[in-house]
Amino acid sequence: MTTNLTRPPGQRVPATAPALEVRGLVKHYPGVKALDGVDLVVRRNEVLGLAGENGAGKSTLLKALVGLVRPDAGEIWVRGEKVRLGSIADAADHGIGMVFQEQSLVPNLTAAENIVLGSEGPGVRHGIYRWNTMRRLAQEQLDKIGSHIDPLARTDSLSFADRQMVEIAKVLRIEERTSHPPVIILDEPTSVLESKEIETLFTQVRRLREFASVVFVSHRLDEVLDVCDRVAVLRGGRSVGEVPAADAAPAELHRMMIGSTGSDDHYHGAAAERPDEPRPRLVVRGLSGRTFRDVDLDVHAGEIVGIVGVHGSGREDVCRALFGAEPTTAGEVVLDGARLDLSGTRAACAAGIGYVPAERKTEGMVGPMSVADNMTLTKQGSRCTGPVVRPRKQAKLVDRWIERLSIRTPDRGTAIQRLSGGNQQKVVLARWLVAGDVRLLLLDHPTRGLDVGARSEVYRLLRELAGQGVAMVLLADSLEEAIGMSDRIVVMSDGRATTEVAAPADGKPTPLDLVKEMV
Amino acid sequence: MSTPAVTEPAVAGPPVTGRAVAGRRLTSFMPVIALVVLLAALTVADPGFLTLNSLTAAARTSAPLVVLAAGATLVVLCGGIDLSIAALCSLATVFFALWLPDLGGLTTVAVVAATAAIGAAQGVAHVLLRIPSFIVTLGGLSIFSAIALVISDAGPIRVVDRDVTHWLTLYVGGVVPMAFVVALLVVVVVSLVLRSTPLESWIRATGYSESAARLAGAPVDVVKVAAFTVSGACAGLAAIMLVSRNFSGSPTMADNLLLPAVAAIVVGGTAITGGHGSLWRSLAGALVVTLLRVGLPIVGVPSAYEQILYGAIIVAAVALTLDRSKVQIIK
Repeated sequence: MTTNLTRPPGQRVPATAPALEVRGLVKHYPGVKALDGVDLVVRRNEVLGLAGENGAGKSTLLKALVGLVRPDAGEIWVRGEKVRLGSIADAADHGIGMVFQEQSLVPNLTAAENIVLGSEGPGVRHGIYRWNTMRRLAQEQLDKIGSHIDPLARTDSLSFADRQMVEIAKVLRIEERTSHPPVIILDEPTSVLESKEIETLFTQVRRLREFASVVFVSHRLDEVLDVCDRVAVLRGGRSVGEVPAADAAPAELHRMMIGSTGSDDHYHGAAAERPDEPRPRLVVRGLSGRTFRDVDLDVHAGEIVGIVGVHGSGREDVCRALFGAEPTTAGEVVLDGARLDLSGTRAACAAGIGYVPAERKTEGMVGPMSVADNMTLTKQGSRCTGPVVRPRKQAKLVDRWIERLSIRTPDRGTAIQRLSGGNQQKVVLARWLVAGDVRLLLLDHPTRGLDVGARSEVYRLLRELAGQGVAMVLLADSLEEAIGMSDRIVVMSDGRATTEVAAPADGKPTPLDLVKEMV
Repeated sequence: MSTPAVTEPAVAGPPVTGRAVAGRRLTSFMPVIALVVLLAALTVADPGFLTLNSLTAAARTSAPLVVLAAGATLVVLCGGIDLSIAALCSLATVFFALWLPDLGGLTTVAVVAATAAIGAAQGVAHVLLRIPSFIVTLGGLSIFSAIALVISDAGPIRVVDRDVTHWLTLYVGGVVPMAFVVALLVVVVVSLVLRSTPLESWIRATGYSESAARLAGAPVDVVKVAAFTVSGACAGLAAIMLVSRNFSGSPTMADNLLLPAVAAIVVGGTAITGGHGSLWRSLAGALVVTLLRVGLPIVGVPSAYEQILYGAIIVAAVALTLDRSKVQIIK
């Protein structure tokens, strides 16, 4: 079944060969080098932590390890043997399995069905389910990790933590395919768990170490250091080093993740000079919703307020709630003295609020529509006289903004999906500017997926807008960006705004100051 | 019948060249080209076909189909589908026959208003209760058919007073049927209103990407209800055209128009996934479908095979125009 089993006896791999080794892995995506020569060693019976900022290449590396991404160059060695992984099944044959960040269980099947799904083996004979066998197989898996979940429970009736146990039990099925200790990859396994559940998971991970190797990925550095034996750090698609977890501090790890700081000068451009106003432009008090509670927030005219927080802090939902795109259960939002109606996006638009979504391609723009129509989609009044569209008025307006923001497009009638990412984002931003009535901009990862040049252009534009008195809430792509662009930074954790850090041009906090508050 | 804006990959491509624009222009004329080719083929098959008489007859036959397809096109452009148009049209013929003795000249207005209200109700159900339009209008189809059967005692009702619908049977300039002129007017007026107001932007944005439209502050819900309302009103207008020809209202009169109407929309090249398309395309599609219908007996195919033809056309046209990069999971 696997190359391992067909190897002639006697030709033993040296016992010192690592369970998994990656050498010089490279993967390009259009415009991005996701992996730029990554080296990684996973030893036998160890828990290896993998740390890195968004975009460091963690996800791509993991996908390459389970055969979901085919690397452009580089080698993957399993127990001293070079392998080629073309699919998840391939990886499983070599004893590599992954517990995915977005849980991959089918909610309306039982735990037992999920555990054996795709590897039914004796659980299916002549195309017919054999429930007793399936249940026994599943029970065996659950026993391996010492879980007491009922294998016949429907998956969607289980808690998140229990579902994760089911996932781990499912992944351990790969033991049936190989006679060697497996390598289990856990991608952000704690992001949806409560603190008590996290403890259970860690016990489980330590138990796995007895008979397997584990790769553990998490945003929370204290967790990584707590559960791992060794931590490897990625930055910009390269391995930048590794440390034994026993004598590393989160601070040291974080320094490795972000590298040398502060070369980007537009970051540290002076914050907009503004006269002290008696009243903030935006006042949020006690805002609560599905994923956030009692959030207070003030933003002054001309001020950029960054919100930072780990995955699951609820900052994205706060942003959407302010735009009326996410339901709220309590709280009050006041913009320039007038209470905001949060029931829908139209009210927010009318009040002069703009929103740049993180998912530009699916939520930010209407791909097949022209640059001009995308730009005037919200502020229809800017191209109409009464209810009637004036094409010449639109053309003049759009051409002016194309020139002002130096948007590179063949002409205003070109479908926006044909533009590069940076130019698309400029059109999306222009949408809120054409009418000249924007008072507050909510920016959810406005530079996501943009190259360095396009980023600087967006930064410059945001600075300019702040100078004109537009208030901004920024969810930055990285801590560096948040620190560089913000005048003030609010830290969110578990749905609450916990701390506020001033970030004036002459006294920026370090990423470490923020990380301390985030975790 | 490839539709350029739909089939182009969603990546930053090279700047548009003159040739690409020409190619796109060409493909948007595909339904018209199909129409001309069909006309030529029918003339070859039966040299007697290309006469003023038969063309006039074909135009007259096509009028209710054009109106039905035009209305439903709006719903499709928003990314939904209206399966209730034919049943609602049948119900409207019964309304007309029943109300005519009491309302007289106002019947036409009353019927169109009633079907518009029914369409709006379906739109509201779709938007507020968040039920797929496919299910709402499938339910509507069944309900309207049943109501039509009940209030008509399951049979045709003769329309004795023919004065009210007489105008639709006239000919403009002695050759162009009035019903066809009215159908054209519907297409022209609705298209013009869309083109000259923000409505077209809103409808296309809603159809291409509802979440993007919502986050851009487009009135997505209002636009959808409006599309269903116009679709309902068009069903009512088509009903009056049918009554003017048949001098009766019947609970099943328009039922066999559902498939041809959907076929007209997709043959015209309007994307079934929403966003891309126009009423003009549906007009051309409706004419193609009508010619096929008229032409089948000419080339010797019994009209019993008509439904096979519609089924095949719909599947083939969608297969050609569906943007599979947009729809990741085909259900």
